[in-house]
Amino acid sequence: MSTNTTQSRLGEFWGEFSKEKSGIVGLILLALCVLVVIFEPLILPWKEVNNKWRDIDYWQDNPASAPPEWTNFFSKTKSPVTQRLTKATREEVDLEGGAKMVTYTLDYKYEADKAPLDVIFHISGTGDIPMVVSIERPDGVKVDLFQRFEQGLANQDIRISADNDGRNSAFAFVKQYESEEALEAYSSSSLRTTDLLFNTAQQGMARQFKPLKGTYKLIAQAMIMDPANMDIKDPYVVVTGSVSGLLGTDDSKRDLASGLIAGMKWALLIGFLTSVVSVVIGVLYGIITAYFGGRVDSVMMFIFQIVNSIPVLPVLIVISAVFKPNIYMLILVMVLFFWTGSVMTVRSMALQIKEETYIEAAKALGAKNGRIIFRHMVPLLIPYSFASMALSVPSAIVYESSVSLLGLGDATIVTWGQILHDAMQGAAVLKGLWWWIVPPGLLIAIMGMMFAFIGFSMDKILHPKLQTR
Amino acid sequence: MEKLLDVQNLQMHYFTSKGAVRAIDGIDLTLMAGETLGLVGESGCGKTSLGSSILRMPSPPGRYVSGKILVEGRDIIPLSEKEVRKDIRWQKIAMVFQGAMNCLTPVYTIGKQMMETLNVHKEVPKAEAEALIKEYLGYVGLPAEVMTRYPHELSGGMKQRAVIATALFLRPSVVILDEPTTALDVIVQAEIINLLKKLKAQFNLSFIFITHDLALEAEVADRICVMYAGRIVEIGPNADIFGKQGPAHPYTQRLLAATPRLFKKVEKLQFILGTPPDLIDPPKGCRFNPRCDRAFARCHEEVPPLEEVEPGHFAACWLNSHS
Amino acid sequence: MYKWFAFKRILKGIFTYAIIIFVLSALFNTVTDKTVRAEIEEQVRAESSRLKNVPPAAIQRFQEQRRIDLIQLYRLDRPLLERILYQTWNSLTFNFGKSTIIKSSQGERDVLTIVGEALPRSLLLFTTATLFEIIIGIALGLKKAQKPGGSMDRITSVITMIVYGMPTFWLAMILIMFFVYNLKLFPSAGMHTVPPPEGIMYFVDLLWHMALPLLTLLLIGFWGVAYYVRNIVLGVLQDDYIMAARARGIPEHSVLFGHTLRTAAPPIMTMSILSLLASITGAIIFEGIFSWPGLGNLYWIAVQQNDIPVLMGDLTITTGIYQVGLIILDLTYGFMDPRIKVGGKA
Repeated sequence: MSTNTTQSRLGEFWGEFSKEKSGIVGLILLALCVLVVIFEPLILPWKEVNNKWRDIDYWQDNPASAPPEWTNFFSKTKSPVTQRLTKATREEVDLEGGAKMVTYTLDYKYEADKAPLDVIFHISGTGDIPMVVSIERPDGVKVDLFQRFEQGLANQDIRISADNDGRNSAFAFVKQYESEEALEAYSSSSLRTTDLLFNTAQQGMARQFKPLKGTYKLIAQAMIMDPANMDIKDPYVVVTGSVSGLLGTDDSKRDLASGLIAGMKWALLIGFLTSVVSVVIGVLYGIITAYFGGRVDSVMMFIFQIVNSIPVLPVLIVISAVFKPNIYMLILVMVLFFWTGSVMTVRSMALQIKEETYIEAAKALGAKNGRIIFRHMVPLLIPYSFASMALSVPSAIVYESSVSLLGLGDATIVTWGQILHDAMQGAAVLKGLWWWIVPPGLLIAIMGMMFAFIGFSMDKILHPKLQTR
Repeated sequence: MEKLLDVQNLQMHYFTSKGAVRAIDGIDLTLMAGETLGLVGESGCGKTSLGSSILRMPSPPGRYVSGKILVEGRDIIPLSEKEVRKDIRWQKIAMVFQGAMNCLTPVYTIGKQMMETLNVHKEVPKAEAEALIKEYLGYVGLPAEVMTRYPHELSGGMKQRAVIATALFLRPSVVILDEPTTALDVIVQAEIINLLKKLKAQFNLSFIFITHDLALEAEVADRICVMYAGRIVEIGPNADIFGKQGPAHPYTQRLLAATPRLFKKVEKLQFILGTPPDLIDPPKGCRFNPRCDRAFARCHEEVPPLEEVEPGHFAACWLNSHS
Repeated sequence: MYKWFAFKRILKGIFTYAIIIFVLSALFNTVTDKTVRAEIEEQVRAESSRLKNVPPAAIQRFQEQRRIDLIQLYRLDRPLLERILYQTWNSLTFNFGKSTIIKSSQGERDVLTIVGEALPRSLLLFTTATLFEIIIGIALGLKKAQKPGGSMDRITSVITMIVYGMPTFWLAMILIMFFVYNLKLFPSAGMHTVPPPEGIMYFVDLLWHMALPLLTLLLIGFWGVAYYVRNIVLGVLQDDYIMAARARGIPEHSVLFGHTLRTAAPPIMTMSILSLLASITGAIIFEGIFSWPGLGNLYWIAVQQNDIPVLMGDLTITTGIYQVGLIILDLTYGFMDPRIKVGGKA
């Protein structure tokens, strides 16, 4: 007598499943995704992406709409890579009256063929700090970019951007090599400070960019008047290159790699919750309607037909537009539609099982309905349930991304659909910003592919007739 | 009397992932004009495989390994599929399959399927074709309006008759019938058998009648051929095998003994111990030796050949052997 | 016999449809109410601005009176259930009223006209796509079923799985980026160039605009059909009657296209029609990306512009198409599969 227990069925199922190569590949990919979610805090390039996705300040040092770093590999003219320099040497010189002159120096190795977009100094200051920020070029020229007197700071960030704050000094520097007329011809708006700072010093340098490669020293010097209560520390410099990050940036300067990694957990959450809950409901619904038959069946099938005939996406859109739900509400609404998916097949399978003599026997023995359903019918439908779950995950993810694409998704979280929405808003298609468009959709497609592998292998086990020798 | 069919040392194996199943392992067989050759044996002995092999249609993954099948003197194994389809199938050899109820395509009417079969083999104008179909439907006792019906609208017996009509209307010389009545109730079975006898006489047909039902075989066959594990173990005239002397092979003897008699009271039904052997790795020597109660040393070592025990009656058993 | 069945089925369809519209009306009730109230306000203000030389107090009274009148006219003062039923009845009789903002191509604001214009455009695109998908899918599926487990079968199955979860709108974005902006081969949006050319060029222009959306749909669509066809056909090929047909000497192509395909036709047609219906109802984003002026695009514009009458009209028609499709499927299934008594020969 075969044991129909849930356990033995699962074991049998796993045995068959492991023979299908594509199924195993799917599982491995799934495991990788889960690992990404678990280790997200470690692998995120920008750690606070989850909270600060819409915080402009968080991303302000990045370039906007910048292609990924590795595109440099494919082009002859190398673009500078966005970097964060944190290694600084601190020098202190004691002055009269108990004050100190603190100098921080950071090195920047410039090897690219194009100028960086900006060089941004950050330093934490406490108290009243007069500060000078300068750059020493490989050719020995030192340009004082900016002087500032910050007052009343309480360990706050001082941000000095070469492009904004250092414009005048840069132009003063260039005046030595260009005539007034030439400079006016190239009005200050189109030339960046960095186009001049990183340029070889020569005649006509405003018109032509010849990179001066080498090690640049970025220096911040401040006079600490009251060392007991004032100080500067933790300096870092962000060189805003024209390529940035693993997957580039969007037009709001956000690092896309971080956004996409952060989106992984939501995709998995949406996929799993929606598919598991809706399939469980659908399977139970199908079994119950088949088991009890008669009036129960008529009523339940009628309800089923109504819900099944309501178009999902339009309703989903209006509900999202009117009620602005968060992600869990969205999942709930999706479940309310998705459960119908499994009902028909489960119902016909359950009808067949119902005709089996052992069901009749169980009833004759006086077994309760619940017991018959859960002990005899559900285990037989578990393989189908798993296949069904796996195959509905991609739809759930695509529905959510559709809703987000229209701008109606949960604004507090980062999902791949939202990134695509921003891409559409930012006319990425028109501008050819492929790194913004391809990865999010590709990830959605890969998730779909992954679950398709898993689901189809399960499907094959359920229909052995269709297997090939 | 001409030899319609001459099977010489045929070997056909099924090449599965677990090994080669030696379903037909050295069969010699002849069919003469006008006779009914009965092919009998347990499930899995190879009789259905033999039937489809003679039609040059072994079920995949089956393949011919060696031997010849001569149809009116012509070996059909090396022929191309096209030649077999045009000349042999249905025109020289037709087959009535096991479970004829499933042999008709459910979405076409009977008439359409019969017409299609006819048109594939002969160029006949529509009116004539229809007339021919109606004629044959008449022979099998079906009304002409059956032509407009779909298979699911007919009873099992009616479907069987339609299939028989289709098998016959090209006047093949050989008709292979594989368990033609197994799925029918006894009354319909009797009707069909009578019909077959009548048609055989009417058109001078030759049958290969495959069944596991020994009693049925005794009723219809002129010669009986007993198969076991892919081989023929006994072959001889009906009268000899079921006559006074009885069968010469232990297997046939036990089959006969296992058939309950109507007028004899039995305490316990006799049966044959054991199960048919694994055809991927059959037993050494005589394949029946694991189940034979009279097996001795030689049986386990050497394969017994078919030897004549009386004129026209052959058996493959060391017990009968003269050597 | 059949007529009676058909009649019952259509009746059942209408009844189901009414219930769905009722549910939808209930769902959107809050939104519809808000819109009507806003419209009333506008109307009241418009009317009162035309009053001249009337003291402010009188204007005030006039406005209040008008408000009450209009609210009564639009039944906003009635209980909730009655309002929903009223809305349901209007929708079912296709009495959608006027749009708030959206205009038809002739500049009209009649919702029925607006939706009616969009409908054939959606049908054109998706029916054509489905047709191609069926043809290519059946051809490929048959090829796969003939050599199951072969390299063609396995490779195409893997591709099927790869595109399974691929969002059509994303593929659309990529193809647009490449073909429209990079290679400049196709137009970026819409159904026609403005202004549309005359004569035969009109159709050529239409085809040119249709090419990219069609391509996008096809690239993802036919694999699933092929997979499904392959499985159904494989199942049929293992049935006894196929072997019997071969034994009768029926040539292989007749066996495949005649006996096998004909038997496999009902489930394949069912799946194709259902998928066509699904693609029309889900087309909102896809049409949006291509600015294809069909029902989906209209729906989205209606949501964005808060044009509720058009929204309800679009939704009603879309749901209606779905129901009609299901009814047609049920009624014609019998013709395809003679084993099903209804619809075929009784």
